[in-house]
Amino acid sequence: MGFLESVALYSFLRGPMVWITFIIFIVGSIYRSYTLINLAKKERIVVNIKAAIKSYFHWLIPFGSRNWRLRPYFTLFTFVFHTGIVFIPIFLYAHNALWYESWKISWWTLSDTVADVWTILVIIGCLFFIGRRLFNPTVRFVTTYSDFIFVFICLFTFLTGFLAHYQWLLSYRAMLNLHILFGEIMLIAIPFTRLTHMYYFFFTRALMASQAASWKTKDW
Amino acid sequence: MAIKPEVSEEKEVYVSPHFPEYVRPKIEDPGLDETIKRITPEKIEKAYQAVFGKKTARIKAIVETCIHCGLCAEACQWYLSNDRDPTYAPVAKVKMTVWELMKRKGKVEPSLVYDIARIAFTECNICHRCSLYCPFGLDITFIIGLVRRFCFLLGVVPQRMFEMNQAFMATLNQVWMSQSDYIDTLFWREEEGMYELKNLRMPMDIEGVEVIWYPLAAEPKAGVYHIDRIAKIFQVAGVNWTMVTINDSWDSSNMPMFIRDFFNMQRIVRGLYDNAARLRGKKLVLTE
Repeated sequence: MGFLESVALYSFLRGPMVWITFIIFIVGSIYRSYTLINLAKKERIVVNIKAAIKSYFHWLIPFGSRNWRLRPYFTLFTFVFHTGIVFIPIFLYAHNALWYESWKISWWTLSDTVADVWTILVIIGCLFFIGRRLFNPTVRFVTTYSDFIFVFICLFTFLTGFLAHYQWLLSYRAMLNLHILFGEIMLIAIPFTRLTHMYYFFFTRALMASQAASWKTKDW
Repeated sequence: MAIKPEVSEEKEVYVSPHFPEYVRPKIEDPGLDETIKRITPEKIEKAYQAVFGKKTARIKAIVETCIHCGLCAEACQWYLSNDRDPTYAPVAKVKMTVWELMKRKGKVEPSLVYDIARIAFTECNICHRCSLYCPFGLDITFIIGLVRRFCFLLGVVPQRMFEMNQAFMATLNQVWMSQSDYIDTLFWREEEGMYELKNLRMPMDIEGVEVIWYPLAAEPKAGVYHIDRIAKIFQVAGVNWTMVTINDSWDSSNMPMFIRDFFNMQRIVRGLYDNAARLRGKKLVLTE
């Protein structure tokens, strides 16, 4: 417990590790996207921008596509979860304060209540996904350990953040260190694992939309 | 005489040695059973390298993005009509074929190739519905197509599909019909149709027409009445049209596509377009 609570760990995670994380995340993401696009340019891949934008629009709004409408609960949880995982870290008051401390910049923030409720919903979403992987036979058949690890990283990041805010369970500093650690693991993992679906979504979606458009059908 | 009801016996089941969940009735198909005896691990690896060795952007994007959510299952008619059996879901088919191949880098035994061929050829219709249902728009069908290509390179193809492909190799149509047979059939249908519609013509190889019609090979062979029906429709509608008899390229069905025999696929499509270019036709009409 001593090490977990130590100021040394905190200042490492809060100092150099943040730089490393963001550099790996940003450079890695740009590299991955760039190499994929470059590879695609050598092949005969037609991209229809108009169809792609329509397709993004339909798949990025809840119940905008047939498959979303077929599974209302999944849709609800997946949207709450994915919007939460992107927007809560950006617009959280505490994170904003950190940006302000370091670089004297800040932007809009979520109110505490909204952030709390949203975080709890994200945690429930994580549990929903885990349950689905355990109890839905179709999903269980194709689930690998890595799938659980992805969900657990997200779950722990949000759970420790929430607990640290209310200073429950562990001491504040230990919880905070864990929270930062999991968050950094998640960001670093994005370019290297299947979490790349964060931005590969836009490429694969565009490809299918263009193909569907060439068949004069819609892919939502 | 009393009618004996046919007793449906308990069928023998086939359980995959690689995936215990994959349980199917046993089938006998020389195209699968005999060919897997001939392939060796070296041949399998060579075929794997030929198809999946060079990772293209599509394969990369599809394999590296799939988050195993199982949302594609709802799209698959095989899955829906088999009581939502998990092994029929599109993602499960990909798991049992491509993921397994990629995990072992093509170093697999022939018995897995049998499973792969069975899944890719007999449990997927290449209909693209799952691709339209995938939240990421991953082209699952494209991947299954590549798996079929892998099986084709090894020669592990269901007998009937391979025989059809051989018909295309030899005659460029799926029913072993020669050019003279084809011309003869068209003249016969013209004669038959003339009794029903005055001045019915079956135009052949006319240059500069508006519409070129390529029938399906089954039409001159088995469904001959289709030909004079279409001819009547064209005639009454006043369309300037023609059929092509100058060479063997007149069958619009492309069966080699189903086993991804790229060479014959290309021969067929090129033949149709070449003929259209030679006759300077404006539109191609195909039977489907």
